[in-house]
Amino acid sequence: MGERMVDEILRVENLHVSVEGTPILNGVNLIINRGEIHAVMGRNGAGKSTLANVVMGHPAYEITEGSIFYKGQPLEDLEVFERARAGMFLSFQYPASIPGVQVGSFLKKSVASVRDEPPKGRAFRKELTAAMEQLSMDKSFLSRYVNDGFSGGEKKRLEILQMLLLQPHLALLDETDSGLDIDALRIVAQGINEVAVNSGCLIITHYQRLLDLVKPDFVHAMIDGVIIKTGGPELALRLEDKGYDWLDVAA
Amino acid sequence: MIYQKMTIPPRSEHLWRYTPWPRIHPSSIDKVPDVDGVIFSLSEQHEMESVAHSTVAHDDIARAFLQSAGGSHNRLVVSEESEPIHIDARASGHIAVGHLHLDVKASGVVLIHLTGEPEWVGIHITGKIHPNTQLSFGFVNELGSNTKFLRCEDWIVERDAELEHATLSIGGFRCKSDLRTTLNGTGSTIRQSVTANAVGSRHDDEHVEIHHLHGHTNSDLVMNSACSGNSHFIATGLLTIAEGANKTDASQVFRNLLLSERARAEAIPELEVLADDVSAAHGAATAPVDQNQMHYLMSRGLSPDESKSLIVSGFLLNAFSNLSNKYLTQEMQTRLTVHLECELKR
Repeated sequence: MGERMVDEILRVENLHVSVEGTPILNGVNLIINRGEIHAVMGRNGAGKSTLANVVMGHPAYEITEGSIFYKGQPLEDLEVFERARAGMFLSFQYPASIPGVQVGSFLKKSVASVRDEPPKGRAFRKELTAAMEQLSMDKSFLSRYVNDGFSGGEKKRLEILQMLLLQPHLALLDETDSGLDIDALRIVAQGINEVAVNSGCLIITHYQRLLDLVKPDFVHAMIDGVIIKTGGPELALRLEDKGYDWLDVAA
Repeated sequence: MIYQKMTIPPRSEHLWRYTPWPRIHPSSIDKVPDVDGVIFSLSEQHEMESVAHSTVAHDDIARAFLQSAGGSHNRLVVSEESEPIHIDARASGHIAVGHLHLDVKASGVVLIHLTGEPEWVGIHITGKIHPNTQLSFGFVNELGSNTKFLRCEDWIVERDAELEHATLSIGGFRCKSDLRTTLNGTGSTIRQSVTANAVGSRHDDEHVEIHHLHGHTNSDLVMNSACSGNSHFIATGLLTIAEGANKTDASQVFRNLLLSERARAEAIPELEVLADDVSAAHGAATAPVDQNQMHYLMSRGLSPDESKSLIVSGFLLNAFSNLSNKYLTQEMQTRLTVHLECELKR
């Protein structure tokens, strides 16, 4: 039992969430263990991004019922930054731009916060260079302002770069594949696969093409704020082929 | 016009709406007090000459007052391209006034760092950028926190000349700046940025005028302020494009970041366009710290205080991003970063 608890990274129980009084999630149940990749698919507005954001602790979302546990501990009392320091990571669908803050200095501060010690100069530079090379990112990225004037693909690469450096135990990837061309998608998928080995991974996506490169262990179909069906990789293929209408009856 | 014979400008005037003349005058307004001179010091390889008291008549009360008050009068000629020129402007005594004229005949970088703790400081800088030359000019106000400060500047930018003008306003208790530039020849350009950190009870009133007298002239003004405590920041701009000054490209952007409930900020850009074929844009925004930015940084492990401080410093540093001279940009950003780090330690 104890070992099982260690392997369990995320447990979502009967989660109901509202935004400004409007219910978005209506009883989500989900368990993610270490080394597992879960994909959540659904129409626009189904509640997929809400699930990722509420797990990360976005203050705009109100949990009206249910609970979230991270490594067996309830998350309610943890602030967003405390969740990040505990090993949780959200790759944003639309990452905020921070004009005037250089990527290099931001990465250093973020790594220092999550690792609870300032990164050592030469070793960190080496680590950063290796991660950037892996993602085919030019060094000039480091002197640019965070996401300011970045193309969609550049923003997603920066998100994955942060994930590689922070090595989270739980990676929440909200439509990380949108805005990426096929080459960039391959590079980003490689980064996800690397992190997924030792973490729990939740991928929110509309498309099969990412799941061709990052093999999910479980695929969940979400409709109206509820996970209506769970299956293996074949479910993603079926959803891509048939859409979501056939699930509406079940919903 | 002689100061004592001038009429005190009413608050209905755009320029004096938020900091009326009696609030920035050093004593009772009918008097011109005795003053000490602001001492301008240069690095060894450059020379500045002391010049006679200017006799130019001013219609503006602040300029007329500074002229009547006297103080130090200096002139710097930039006649050949050289290393950046650093001017240390030191104000001492009870009331200090300094006048400086820059005659720019060759491209260069000039940085003025104003320090001191008198009760009142007045500075009048004038400059002429000769045709086809470029000046990158930085001004750092790091006066003591109890000092009242009046600053006037008048620049003339000639044909195909370029002025990059950066201000870092982090000192003084009550500050009033009136910075005017005339684009006096075809192809002349000004890129101007003002960054102000208004803390405590600081009152900082920055007025910028840019006058396009000819066609094919360009201006780009960015003013960013961060206001905390009980501070009050005022950004007013006046952009004029003269009749016939076609193909002019002008923009003004004012942004204020409100960091406390009691801080106040005004952003009032004004345009007077008399030409037909121009591009003129202006924008103003006053807002608290963006919660999406806060959430993003906190989701990367930064505490709320660390996140806020990073957003504020980035916001202020970003005002200098319209400058093209790397040395000037780096110097201004470094001064600001050091200032913000010191603020954090207080």
